[in-house]
Amino acid sequence: MSVGQKQAERIAILARLHFGAEEIERLTEELNHILQHVEALRNLEDGPAVVHSEEGAPQAWQRGSTRGSEAEVPDTLDQGLNKVSPDWAEGFFVVPPLPGLHKDEGA
Amino acid sequence: MTTLAKAAHAVGAIQELENGGAPLNAFLAVAHPESLAVANSEGLLAGIPLAVKDNLATTGFDTTCGSKVLEGYRSPYESTVVRRAKAAGAVVVGKTNLDEFAMGSSTENSAYGPTLNPHDRSRVPGGSSGGSAAAVAAGLVPMALGSDTGGSVRQPAAFCGIVGIKPTYGRVSRYGLVAYASSLDQVGTLGRTVTDAARLLQVVSGYDERDATSDERPVPDLLGAVGRGVEGLVIGVPNEYLPDGLDPALRDLVNTALRELEEAGAKIRRVSLPHTRYAIPCYYVLAPAEASSNLSRYDGVRYGVRCAEADLISMYQGTRSTGLGIEVKRRIMLGTYALSAGYYDEYYGTAQRARRMITEDFRSVFDDGVDALFTPTSPTPAFKIGERMDDPMEMYLSDVFTVTANLAGIPGISVPIGSIRGLPVGGQVLAPWWQEDQMLAIAGELETRIQGAEA
Repeated sequence: MSVGQKQAERIAILARLHFGAEEIERLTEELNHILQHVEALRNLEDGPAVVHSEEGAPQAWQRGSTRGSEAEVPDTLDQGLNKVSPDWAEGFFVVPPLPGLHKDEGA
Repeated sequence: MTTLAKAAHAVGAIQELENGGAPLNAFLAVAHPESLAVANSEGLLAGIPLAVKDNLATTGFDTTCGSKVLEGYRSPYESTVVRRAKAAGAVVVGKTNLDEFAMGSSTENSAYGPTLNPHDRSRVPGGSSGGSAAAVAAGLVPMALGSDTGGSVRQPAAFCGIVGIKPTYGRVSRYGLVAYASSLDQVGTLGRTVTDAARLLQVVSGYDERDATSDERPVPDLLGAVGRGVEGLVIGVPNEYLPDGLDPALRDLVNTALRELEEAGAKIRRVSLPHTRYAIPCYYVLAPAEASSNLSRYDGVRYGVRCAEADLISMYQGTRSTGLGIEVKRRIMLGTYALSAGYYDEYYGTAQRARRMITEDFRSVFDDGVDALFTPTSPTPAFKIGERMDDPMEMYLSDVFTVTANLAGIPGISVPIGSIRGLPVGGQVLAPWWQEDQMLAIAGELETRIQGAEA
């Protein structure tokens, strides 16, 4: 299996990345070189995909339980977001409009 | 020295080295001397200067992950491991350099320049916890925190001639560890000695309600295990980790270490882990797949830097393309491809099956009476800076002996076993799930005997 340059450009759009013409050409070559090594997985015998053995899984997973909806100590992430975000106004993240979306259409 | 004096001395030594004529570039941030404080003068780490990899959230320092996209980012909360270390008396003296978002094996992928190996400044310190390993090896701090997704604590420990531990997946909380590949990531410890690394692990281990993957099992006496000896233990040597092409000098060092363990009362048994050959392809599908999802958050909206563009999609693309480095983008591309419609089963599904088989290999050997495994940590000593940057696949193969422990979730430790052409070499002990104490007993014995032989 190999990736063509057009396909690499499509993957870049999905990944929200942008590359110049030379960059995408080189990246396509590198991806194909890596994928050649990944081809070794084709020789794998059949079997189910299970991530961890029972010994390796945390006890909570083995019991089928998950973390409670609230930790005892409240998370601080609801505070101070305005200090770490690039743009913040009136309690919201500020972002540019979607392509082709006019301000009055978005109201 | 008073408890604070050690940390103040460490800060001075770091500043002198990093601001002098021959910096290592091991630190991305250093504490202000006046900000130093010991929270617990009776704790297990009272007054000990601690270096922290810059992908662990800290409230007193920026957390950049070695990336431009998080330049100037100050976390509003502290990672559990740093909180626990401070509560035990440790003093965080700085944040250490790393491959961007822990993606790399040399620390050359940092947006803030490469870290140099203190043993030979023309060589890499390994990675991705290269800053932490170099800081310990240079004697700037006795211990440091790192993270290990495919060998990122053990391989730099080996390259720098120190000790590095990756615990069982779930032993240590990942709360506040910036995610790269969540099913593989685990916080690890680095130290000048097995005891130092074990002491730090003892403090940071244990259940944390803030990480759903952290485990409730009690933490054994890790410090006490270091001097326990290896009498009667069966130590397996997997054939696949000593391939025909292995450097004969490295093979000799491994054999010497095994003889020492045998003399100490362990039984050595050759074993096979037949699916080892799938480990690198498996890892380089799963880790990028998880990375492509985890790193989608760096979009210029919630934190970090933003590239100002006219519309939202262009802003995402501009922010990510200028803020992320080439290795991170390469892995995001690989992961996006592996998870895309039509290729998911072929790549991700198959890699998950390979992961199970690699795990079953370990389980089968441990069920067969083997208490732990011994292997080289890396196929080579530290390589030259720039030597592997043009060939990503060659760089990935640096991790061939370490990724299996992450895929299976078992604990591993790298301990110095000698040197080749003046460069340190590490041996790796791998133990069954939750048996870090067994692993530390073996590593401690090796350390005593090999250091004793060299003295």
